[in-house]
Amino acid sequence: MKMEEKFEPKIVAFLCKWCSSAGSDLAGVSRLKYPPNVVPITVMCSGSVSPNYIFSAFKKGADGVLVSGCHPGDCHYMKGNYYARRRITLVKELLDFIGIEPQRFHMSWVSAAEGAKFTEIISDFVKELEPLGPQNKLRSNL
Amino acid sequence: MVTLEELKDNCRQILKEGKVKYIIGYKRKNGQYMTVPAFLDRIEEVDHLVWDPSCIYNLVRYLRDEKMRKEKEKEPDTRPVGVIVKGCDSRAVNILIQENYITRDDVYIIGVSCEKSGIVDEKKLTKKFAGKDIRKLDFAGNGKIQVTCGTKNSVVPAEEILADRCIECTIPTPIVFDVLFGEKTDREVPDPFKTIKELESFDTTRKWEFWKEEMDKCIRCYACRSVCPMCYCDECVADSISLAVKPDTTAEEKAHKIRWVEKSPVISENFNYHLIRAMHLAGRCVDCGECDRVCPVDIPLRYLNRKMEKESLDHFGYTAGMEPEKPTLVSCFREDDPEEFIL
Ligand code: SF4
Ligand code: SF4
Ligand code: FES
Repeated sequence: MKMEEKFEPKIVAFLCKWCSSAGSDLAGVSRLKYPPNVVPITVMCSGSVSPNYIFSAFKKGADGVLVSGCHPGDCHYMKGNYYARRRITLVKELLDFIGIEPQRFHMSWVSAAEGAKFTEIISDFVKELEPLGPQNKLRSNL
Repeated sequence: MVTLEELKDNCRQILKEGKVKYIIGYKRKNGQYMTVPAFLDRIEEVDHLVWDPSCIYNLVRYLRDEKMRKEKEKEPDTRPVGVIVKGCDSRAVNILIQENYITRDDVYIIGVSCEKSGIVDEKKLTKKFAGKDIRKLDFAGNGKIQVTCGTKNSVVPAEEILADRCIECTIPTPIVFDVLFGEKTDREVPDPFKTIKELESFDTTRKWEFWKEEMDKCIRCYACRSVCPMCYCDECVADSISLAVKPDTTAEEKAHKIRWVEKSPVISENFNYHLIRAMHLAGRCVDCGECDRVCPVDIPLRYLNRKMEKESLDHFGYTAGMEPEKPTLVSCFREDDPEEFIL
């Protein structure tokens, strides 16, 4: 008899190099426990995350996507996260409008000191995604 | 009301003075009641100029061809091009100026106000007048349109045959112009985003079912892109030409080419194309309705763009094409932009 395999959601996380990526590193070196479901992708700044990245991640099979940057006022490039906030607002609304579960896409502010916040975001995200099952709507069918 | 004779006189005048290179307007083609775009460069041609509820085209699209032509010429004629614009079209000109694609001096803007009326939806018209020999449409003033069938005239309330976007339009008068015909009209629209709100009220599954069915149909003819005055990029992310694979392209080169959207009209790629398209038009689409009108498989493209329009307004108080001297929607921010959704 085959055991029912537990669904392990895959999260693609675009983390800015200066804060959120450092925050996730801190979680690692502090040996904080969080689910191993994240594929972190370091980007220079949350402002450099093109909507194409997000749609592409979903196309390549992400069950959830996270964009994370420095807190307002802390962006290494001063304003990148403010631009990101505008753009991501629109992406979020658009995905919701076409019927992608809103739980599948999040944005967060995580500083280099917030390892604990990062682990919490990921754990919650995984919990949210589990009942939804795999994301097949935008997955490539080529 | 716009008096066609006054409009024609103005056009003749500016052509005579050599103020413009030519005028982009509307004319009727051998007896058909729907107009087609017309390029008028001789005074006599102005006789054929038309302004009526069948002037559906957003002629601003042609400014792109004009720009490309001018760039190729050695000694280009730098006089402005005259273009007839409705309220929505005028905002498209504003955006081209805002984005430094053209300058204000490149165009002589001839504004016509739609006042309490607008442009017809041909499907609604032919349904209402099914089997009738429609000859001509005219603005009848006060939110009415006169339809001439055979020798008989009937006057109908405009909203019975208007395009949906015109029914929802709150800016019927051109925002920018060198000369304006017709009255500046404020229009009360009870809820300009009614359709969008209805779609928003669907649950996730129903939303997905709705869009999946629509996206399944897309044949990726790119008519929606070709007709859009805002889609002026030399190269589109949807079918990148510089990424073309040639016989001498090495495997390594291929590996380095990022293709965001595949060309095959399968559902995932269609969604991708349309999501990117919606994002690229956020804060830029003026709801001229052209993409929606030309789609050969009747995909309600307007809804995606209109959704972005609604969010731009709700979250950032931004309406496309109103203030060309200010930065565009996504090239600026306010420190207190809403962020409740951010973790
Ligand atoms: S949406 Fe319609 S007009 Fe646009 S590419 Fe698809 S089929 Fe063509
Ligand atoms: S997206 Fe469609 S409605 Fe908007 S400006 Fe382009 S053609 Fe007009
Ligand atoms: S560097 Fe972190 S958001 Fe810009």
